[in-house]
Amino acid sequence: MTSRVRGGLVAAAIALPVGAFLGVVVAPVEAFQGDPYRILYVHVPSVVTAYVAFAVACVASILYLWRRDTRYDRAALASAELGEVFLTMVLITGPIWGKPVWGAWWTWDARLTTALILWFIFGGYLMIRGWAGARGARAAAVIAIIGVLDIPLIHWSAVLLRTLHPRPTVFRAAGPDLPSSFLYILLFNIGAFLLTYLVLWSVRVRQESQRARLAELEMV
Amino acid sequence: MGYVAAAYVAVAVLFAGYAWTLIARQRDLRRRIARARGADSG
Repeated sequence: MTSRVRGGLVAAAIALPVGAFLGVVVAPVEAFQGDPYRILYVHVPSVVTAYVAFAVACVASILYLWRRDTRYDRAALASAELGEVFLTMVLITGPIWGKPVWGAWWTWDARLTTALILWFIFGGYLMIRGWAGARGARAAAVIAIIGVLDIPLIHWSAVLLRTLHPRPTVFRAAGPDLPSSFLYILLFNIGAFLLTYLVLWSVRVRQESQRARLAELEMV
Repeated sequence: MGYVAAAYVAVAVLFAGYAWTLIARQRDLRRRIARARGADSG
């Protein structure tokens, strides 16, 4: 592990609990939702990080199909796996917020359903890699590229369709619609999650490189 | 605050579980690489 990755791990290990402290203790109570809104400080950073991870997996998959360089495939696999972890956080924290605010753990509205479809698409990606290994790289790359097309659907579903899910309050064309006392803590948490993704992605890519090296050694 | 605690604990468990998986994978890789190198030199 390089000193940069080690430093990143330490920074992420500090930033994540600090972000949680800011979200749970320091942030003011929201007038309408009360305390359950504090789940937003992990839910939104998880979804932003999942989108970034899947976008990286898509770009790396395009480069892999184009250049046939396995380094891009390893980068895509590492990012898809992390995206799935962060999307799992989204799909767990969302219903925990939904129960006290909506009165239901889950509804089949457009945003929740498209998010669940994204989870299944990249679940399929990881299953192919688990079963077929490097032989499934091309099929998995195609799945990653198609899967990312679901992200704009998820985002715009809450804007264009009548959904129970709140409309975007941070990532909107007119700029964030949150008071600064909420916004800065949310941005800190998004930064902490993205840093964690970056560090874990580096570790995971390195592991895949070692796995490729091992395959070469075992063939000799 | 029960729902908030449940959400944060769930995220912490996922992070810890993934970190544990990474560590276990790293140990396994290191062991298999050492064995393959040993077989290669022997």
